[in-house]
Amino acid sequence: MREPDFSALANRLLKSGISPRHAHRTVNELRDHYDDLVDAAVDEGANSRNARLSAVNELGTMDDFVAAMASRRELKTWAFRYPRLAVVVYPIACLAVLPAMPVFVGIAHRTAVMRWGASLLVAGIITALLLLIMQLSIILG
Amino acid sequence: MSQSNPPFMSGVPELLLLRLLNDQEMYGYELVRSIKQATNEAISLGEGVIYPVLHSLERNGSLKSKRKPVGGRTRVYYALTKKGRGRLQKLRDDWSRIQGGVATALGTAGSA
Repeated sequence: MREPDFSALANRLLKSGISPRHAHRTVNELRDHYDDLVDAAVDEGANSRNARLSAVNELGTMDDFVAAMASRRELKTWAFRYPRLAVVVYPIACLAVLPAMPVFVGIAHRTAVMRWGASLLVAGIITALLLLIMQLSIILG
Repeated sequence: MSQSNPPFMSGVPELLLLRLLNDQEMYGYELVRSIKQATNEAISLGEGVIYPVLHSLERNGSLKSKRKPVGGRTRVYYALTKKGRGRLQKLRDDWSRIQGGVATALGTAGSA
């Protein structure tokens, strides 16, 4: 008996445009519901395997569930509710944010950037010292 | 797979959920049990299907939810809002009107 794959269900809901908040919460509720159904069947005397089989049957198919969620426009992300608007807004937002992206990336990876900057500084100092020594050896030599 | 209901059941789960939540707050599993009990199992929903309805009702302000830890699990309890009570009243009126209309039509058809 296969357990319902709730992680796969969450992915299917997200792919169908359901907002992450609703998708994850619904999957958690459904998982608890499944556990309650199993517990109830066990309390009625079913063995573990039959209890799980009965719970899966009562819960309904994942296809039905995804279809029921996807039919509710209000549970979808705004990009799925207003796809034409999203097609216009997303590229404009991307263009607006693009010049600031190096700054954001730098802030997000500040430790790596600082390490890289320090290495560059040390390499610069060493190069300058070498050049100075060579220059002095020419002048004094 | 539980017995499904015909297409004219559209809107009935919403009415039943609002009616049951008018009495007390409940979580999903509890609501499904209550629907079965209240309708003498005449109405059998694919149990998972109530969650999209609950989320939609919450989204439009008819319900509010809160998490409560119960028996080692965190339950999401749903309760009716003032807007939900108004929605329930409207659905009740609609249902009575449709029920009356269908009953009249069946009576007329039966006597013809």
